[in-house]
Amino acid sequence: MSTMHDLIVIGGGINGATTALFAARGGMDVAVIDRGPLCREASGVNAGTLTMQMTRVALIPYALRAHHMWATAREWLGHDVGVVVCDGLSLAFTEQEAELLAFRAGKRREAGAPITLITGQQALQIEPGLSDKALLAGHCRVDGYANAYLTGLAFRTALLDAGVTLTENNPATDIRQTSSGFEVVTKQGPLRAKRVVIAGGVWIEEMMGWLGIDLPIKTLVNQLAVTERIPTAMRTVVGIANGLLSLKQYPHGTVVIGGGWQGSGSREGGTCSLLPERLVGNIRLACHAVPALKDARLARAWTGFEAETRDALPAVGPVPGIHNAYVIGSIHSGYTSGPYLAKLLADQILGREPDLPLFPIDRLLKPEPLAQG
Amino acid sequence: MVSPHCHFDVLVLGGGPAGMVSAITASQNGLRVGLIDEQVEAGGQIWRAPWASSPQGYESPEARDGNKMRDRLALSSVTCLFGRRIWSVTDRYRVDLLGADGVETFQAPHLIVALGAHERVIPFPGWTLPGVMGLAAATIMLKAHGLAPPKDWVLAGVGPLLAAVAAGYARKGHPPKAIIDLSGPSDWFAALPSLASRPGLFKQGVGWVLSIVSSRIPIYFRHAIRRAEGQDRISACVVGPVDADGKSIDGPEVGIACNAMMVGNGLVPGGEVPRLLGADQVYRHELGGWIPECDPFGRTSLEHLYAIGDGAGIRGGAVACSAGKLAGLAAAHDAGRIDAGAFAHQSAQALAEHRKLSAFSDAMAHMIRLRPAQVASIEADTVICRCEDVTRQDLVAAARAGARDVNQLKHFTRCGMGPCQGRMCGDVAAEILAQEHRLDRQAVGYWTARPPLRPISLQSMLGRFDYADIPIPKPAPL
Amino acid sequence: MVSAFTRIVASHHALVHINVDGVDCVAPAGEPLATSLLAAGYVMLRHSPNRHNPRGAFCLMGVCQECAIHVDGQIVQACMTPVRAGMVVQLRGAV
Repeated sequence: MSTMHDLIVIGGGINGATTALFAARGGMDVAVIDRGPLCREASGVNAGTLTMQMTRVALIPYALRAHHMWATAREWLGHDVGVVVCDGLSLAFTEQEAELLAFRAGKRREAGAPITLITGQQALQIEPGLSDKALLAGHCRVDGYANAYLTGLAFRTALLDAGVTLTENNPATDIRQTSSGFEVVTKQGPLRAKRVVIAGGVWIEEMMGWLGIDLPIKTLVNQLAVTERIPTAMRTVVGIANGLLSLKQYPHGTVVIGGGWQGSGSREGGTCSLLPERLVGNIRLACHAVPALKDARLARAWTGFEAETRDALPAVGPVPGIHNAYVIGSIHSGYTSGPYLAKLLADQILGREPDLPLFPIDRLLKPEPLAQG
Repeated sequence: MVSPHCHFDVLVLGGGPAGMVSAITASQNGLRVGLIDEQVEAGGQIWRAPWASSPQGYESPEARDGNKMRDRLALSSVTCLFGRRIWSVTDRYRVDLLGADGVETFQAPHLIVALGAHERVIPFPGWTLPGVMGLAAATIMLKAHGLAPPKDWVLAGVGPLLAAVAAGYARKGHPPKAIIDLSGPSDWFAALPSLASRPGLFKQGVGWVLSIVSSRIPIYFRHAIRRAEGQDRISACVVGPVDADGKSIDGPEVGIACNAMMVGNGLVPGGEVPRLLGADQVYRHELGGWIPECDPFGRTSLEHLYAIGDGAGIRGGAVACSAGKLAGLAAAHDAGRIDAGAFAHQSAQALAEHRKLSAFSDAMAHMIRLRPAQVASIEADTVICRCEDVTRQDLVAAARAGARDVNQLKHFTRCGMGPCQGRMCGDVAAEILAQEHRLDRQAVGYWTARPPLRPISLQSMLGRFDYADIPIPKPAPL
Repeated sequence: MVSAFTRIVASHHALVHINVDGVDCVAPAGEPLATSLLAAGYVMLRHSPNRHNPRGAFCLMGVCQECAIHVDGQIVQACMTPVRAGMVVQLRGAV
């Protein structure tokens, strides 16, 4: 008979891995399983941006604390994820965008993000690589980025150091409730635990179904691109008012271009494909913002899934009606805020009072009001 | 964004033997065909058009075959879209190109992929020095551009290309200073019987041997390059003995002063497009590595996607021609242009031809196969990924830190993340990872294919645009 | 140049002038630039961006990216770029 763990976490992305890490450090015997290698889906292929200016207002208090966690990752994670803390600029090129920017920056500032509005000329002084066409910019000193593709390596080492039982490439196929907790059915056999955390990214809808819970999750297919290494063209994180551009240059010289332009694909097939005209649109926007990028060569473009709930706010908390089952996922800009929300969930699982409230999913389980007509 | 050109029934990617023959065959059977290649002339690598001399002035059988097929192509109704870089291939089947006039998009219900192979070079210290070049590069210089390496040059590697390059340059009065052959004479004799099926090639092979023998080039059989030395350019190399599996063994090392080296250890199928589209892949060591799973007509697991030529398994130019014929017929049949009877009748001969040629192609593919023991002999501080300067010990460290598949390896080390997109290092990096974990190659997988298929400048993708015309999606939620 | 690559076929293409790092060179119009550079004795073309090791043309067929250098201000693969009169070539890579 397999060991009775204190906790099994299904899904080894940022959310699952951080929850597992803090639960283990809190004294629990924890197992993490993932259908693939750790952090090889959204947590490993996202743009790595750690910005307030693309974060949802309701998440700003969490994102600020998570930003601090990323900036000090060496201390609590123990490993380098290539985090660079730098200024962030969100640009407006038209009157309409300026209006949108002023409104959005104001709301985020109210929520605690230290964003100030500056002129295009002032933005140019902060980021000489910028186009001189910006009318207005949101400027935030709490910004930066991580090297997303190093996430898996860092968490893998940290989890093993914390004594977590890690099983990669082992898909779960069912969760059964037992008298003493849960039995998770996996390809490599059943695992047993007193508690379970569902942290399966875009696949949590199916996993919640194993517990008889209907939690609809929408799948976004985000497109991303990266240039080859080029000489220094920019030193800040650059975005635009509507949030559809994220741009930064890594210390080794590559420039990652993102912003959530949508490709095609589905989580069921597990395949996704880039839409070339959207890639061109994203790149036009990037070159409009930082003209020197025109001379760079595109090295690679890819897609990654992002999960979204009905109200585009996170699903983090206990599973209603099922004692000792928890869920964490669908955190908008989840790479930025994930570690902090996961730490809060770990606190709750460890019986401690979380510093900030979670995002319980009860609100998402009520049937959606019928659309008129 | 301009809307795609949709006036073709089939698009053929790659203008080498497989692509040319499939395009001609499909067009003869009623399909409207667009043939796309980055070069300005058809031919691929093996039939690469002689550029420096007038086409008639060149004597090799490949040049004659190539010219003949180029003439047939010119007389066919195939639309040639040359001088265009393919940067994206997406669903059913959209192909985005970059040419002298900017970006263009084509779409067709059938896609034949014939993009050939790239060279495998087993790394050794100093292989990144200027003056060290691929064996295939040598054949391009020889066949197309009439360029010879400087006087003291060394030829190394394995397979028939080694003999062809040595003989070709010897006849031009520019023999290599030494030939370093991973194979021994017994390997060559073992391949002889298969040549019986190809009298033309047998004659050509005998000619190569005579040229090499008469020029008295020293040949080091069962040897490999241990290292190349030099500052800003190769100035010497050291060769040492290997066993039958390619493993470095004890024995006298020989230093050779040289200022150029041509080295190649076989070919790796360039299967990026079928991979990008999600066609099923299979690892076939004897065919050069990962290839799309295909039926005898080149049909992949995806409807109306065909993969042929060396990109679908290393089989050489002659097999590529019969494969091209079969895929061209299959596309015509699958598009409803020829009925089952005509299809069976016309393909019977090509299928028979295909089978007949396979004895020879199998023997050659065996000769240039990857030798795992040779990879195991690579020294720790040798650069594997040229683009990112990732060494063997970096890869081993990543494997020990938990990288189990090649995409994880890429994340942990940046191996394969540079502009060659892992083409130069992929096969060897995967082999190192597999050996480190004692896994087979299937288990460690292949790089996920990503667009662009070759790097392109952002400038070239932009086209002319106004900011207001960028179709910006609706704002993200606040 | 003693160590330059040697032309062994008389070319029927017109010779044009190109500029390589400030030096005037002649090359056959339309020839891949990488070939012309080898014939002119330019074997080292750039340094690798990570460890700054010297590199030269390697595959000559558009795969390896070792010959990606600046031509008229743009990064191009010299082996895939035909020589044009007046071309300004800088022997340095993207970084």
